[in-house]
Order: sequence, then C-alpha cells, then structure tokens
Amino acid sequence: MLNASDTPRSDPFSAAAAATSNATGAHGSDSELQQALWAIEFQKVSKSFGAHQVLVDLDLQVRPGEKVTLIGPSGSGKTTVLRLAMTLGKPTGGDIRIFGESILFEATGKPISAGQETRIRRRCGMVFQQFNLFPHLTVLQNLILAPTTVLRQSREQAEVSALEYLRMVDLQDKALSYPSQLSGGQQQRIAIARALVMKPEILLLDEITSALDPELAGEVLDVVRGVAQQSNVSLLIVTHEMRFAREVSDRIAVFDRGRIIEEGPPDKIFGQPDSERTRSFLQSVLNH
Amino acid sequence: MTWDWSFVLKILPRLMEGVWYTILVTLASSTLALSGGLALAILESVSTTFGRAFVCFWLELFRGVPTLVLLYFTFYVLPEVGIILPAIPIGIGVLGIVYAAYCSEVYRGSLITIPSELRDACVALHLSPNVTWRRVLIPLMIKRAAPALLNYVLSLFRETAVLFALGVPVLMGQANEVGYESFRYLEPYTLAGVIYLCMNLPFLYLLSRFKDKHA
Repeated sequence: MLNASDTPRSDPFSAAAAATSNATGAHGSDSELQQALWAIEFQKVSKSFGAHQVLVDLDLQVRPGEKVTLIGPSGSGKTTVLRLAMTLGKPTGGDIRIFGESILFEATGKPISAGQETRIRRRCGMVFQQFNLFPHLTVLQNLILAPTTVLRQSREQAEVSALEYLRMVDLQDKALSYPSQLSGGQQQRIAIARALVMKPEILLLDEITSALDPELAGEVLDVVRGVAQQSNVSLLIVTHEMRFAREVSDRIAVFDRGRIIEEGPPDKIFGQPDSERTRSFLQSVLNH
Repeated sequence: MTWDWSFVLKILPRLMEGVWYTILVTLASSTLALSGGLALAILESVSTTFGRAFVCFWLELFRGVPTLVLLYFTFYVLPEVGIILPAIPIGIGVLGIVYAAYCSEVYRGSLITIPSELRDACVALHLSPNVTWRRVLIPLMIKRAAPALLNYVLSLFRETAVLFALGVPVLMGQANEVGYESFRYLEPYTLAGVIYLCMNLPFLYLLSRFKDKHA
C-alpha cells in the first residue's frame, strides 16, 4: 500500500527527518542540548476538570523518531495527554516541551509572537478518532488548505505534495471526492495524509481506529505501520488495538487514573508486566 | 365595481417600475442583512462580555421595535439633529439592519451545530483564526443556515411593501399612488397582490430544492 518510498526522490519523510536533525543540532549549551534530545517532553504535567483530576504529575518523554503507545482503561487520561500536546487544552500545572521549547506560551513569561508560536507547534500533527475532515471541501482541498495557508506553499506545489501522500495512503483516485462519499477507513487514511502533508516531526494518533469496523481498522493500521517503518517521525499513539501496539511501538506506557503505572518495551509489558494492575488490564482486553 | 382592462394597461408600466424598485431594495437590504447577520454572529462568538452585550442590545432593539417605527424615526426624527438621508437608503438600511438581527440568530444556531471536533482539526493543522473562520467555519455556517436564511429573505421581500410609508416607489407604493390619483383601488391593489405572489415563486422554488436536498 505504501508506495511513496519506492522512489527515493519522492520520499515525503526526508524533509521531516532533516528538520529533526537540524533541530537537535541547533542548540548551544549542554542543558539545552539535553532537553532538545526529547521530541516531546511532559514535565510534572497535571490536568483537572473541576474536581476531577485527569492527569497527576505526569512525566513522559519521547525521543525523535521513537514510537510510544499509551494504553490503559478508558478515562485514564491517555487522550488528554495528546490533547494537551496539541494545545487543545491547557494543563493545570507543569510544562510541555516540543524539542526543548515550551508550548505553554503564557506560562513561560517570555513574550512570543504568533509566528514563533506556530513555528513551535507546527512540529506536531494529530489524527483524531472521528477523522474530522472538513465536509465542505474535497479530499484534495482538505489536504492543501493548511500547506497553502500556514506553510504558504503555492497551490501547485501543495497539490503535487498532496497527491504524493494520497498515493501513499492508496487513495489517489479520491482526490476530487467529498469526505461523505468515502468509507470510514478511507476518511481516516485521508486524515492521516492531511496530517502528514504538514511534515510533522511528532504525530499524535488518538484512537484512530475506534470508530471503525475491524476490517476498515486494518487498512488504517497498515498505513500507520508504513509511516512508522519508513519515516523518522515520532509517534505518540493512544489505541485499544493491543496487537498493533505491540508490533509498532518502541515503548509502551500503561496509564491508570492519570498516572503512568508502568512503562517499557512492548515485549516486557505484554510478556512480563511488573504491575498487577497492568496484568489485569491486559487480561481484560486480550480476553475480550 | 367592474374590472377595467384598459385601466390595467395604463397603470401597468408604473407598477412595473415598482417591481424594479422592489427588486432593488430587496437585493440591497438582503445583502446587508445576510452579511451584517454573519458579522454579528461572529462578533458574538469571538468576543467576551462587551461584544456580547453589544450584540444582545442590537438584537433586542431591532427585533423589539416595529419596522415602521424605526423607519419613521430615521426619516422624521434624525433630520432634526441634522442627519438627512433620502428615503431609499433609509428603507434599505432599516430593513437590512432589522433582518441582520434575525439572520444573526440563524447563523448563531448553525455555528453551534458545527462539531467542536472540526475546530480541533483546525488547531491541529495550525490554521490561523482568520483562515479557520474564512475557509472552514463561515462556509459551513452558510451551508447549514441557507434554508432558514432564504426564508428571512422572502419575508424581507414582502416587508419592502411598508417602505411606501416613506414614499419609496416600491410596488406597494406605486399601487397606492395610482389609487389615490384615480380613486380606483380594485385594479392597482389586486395587481400588486398578484405580482407580489408571482415574485415569490423563485424563492419557493429555491426553498423546495433545499428541502429536497436536505430531506
């Protein structure tokens, strides 16, 4: 399904990879360098909605290119982690850094221009459970809206790149369709392509198969597998597909009640988890 | 009371002139109403207390006072403070502003029905607020609001008849004048009614098409 890397010339990820290495090399002092080693870093992040505390002093780091999956029972705060990273909400406490730069622009106290803010945030992209394609735009228009307005690419340039990504998700023939004319799986593949045309260095995937039939979920997961294998993009994934998580992740973090109760390589988490809570959670989902 | 065809033929050109003015006033004031209503709805959505209070005041004022009162006030009272405007701009302005208030409610309703997830997607794509409004929210608002907005345009079209009170030569104004001059009321008012009804037809056709599409 993933043809884009067949020809090196059209590898859509090379730019993101290059940008990553530049970013890590651009910092001067040792402490900054240390920080910049993390693509994304949560420092003692907490979040409450009223009296309900969703995240409690969360510490989580993702290296550039690393694929990390968050698993755990519903309501344990996994999705909130992604939403905070995408600035779709503000943490109640703590700091979130993308390549060493805080995204809590007001908390840093340093005045920051809208341009700088976008530059920092732009390294992150997100795909949602409900696809969230713009229903009044064609697939191609969905894909070029952000590149033409945010990255200021020319229309032609954006279309060429959009078609490349459409080929990658095997939907090049749907460029002129509207989202409502596509299946859920196709819509989600378009949504992934729409996130990727912005060349994110960190991609947040929020339960991207939860709204899909198992059959359609498969084609979406295939696309993500391709992205994971062929690119240097960091993935932070929330999913209930345990087999997929095991196969695609470098590291798994198990969430329960707003805390990470255990993290480690997939083989350890799925094979010999330390925590009793992890074991019972995995039993409940795997026997399901 | 007998129907006089020769009188009909005589007054028809004047009534047709009235049709022309009716179309002109309807187009101008509905443009004002549709764009003003959109602006009010956006202002209410993006602003905090002050903007909301302003929009709220605006809505209550222009929906709460009869159009005729607003027309007379602008036409007769404003000149006393030195603001003298011709009748046609006053008619267009007042109708446009009153219907902007109604339309803004429709837009506001359609904005609420746009899923918040789509706004999340705009944030995730780093679209600026300007682009988010212009390319995503406003087109969706208009699409969802179109049938209800068309209803208001239809109602505005009918209400242009009250502009006869300021002497604007809309269809009703012309019929009225013909009547006064000739003391014959049967033909002018009957014809005015029939012509207004016929002018409705394009609207009704458009509305039924919307209904088919969204049924």
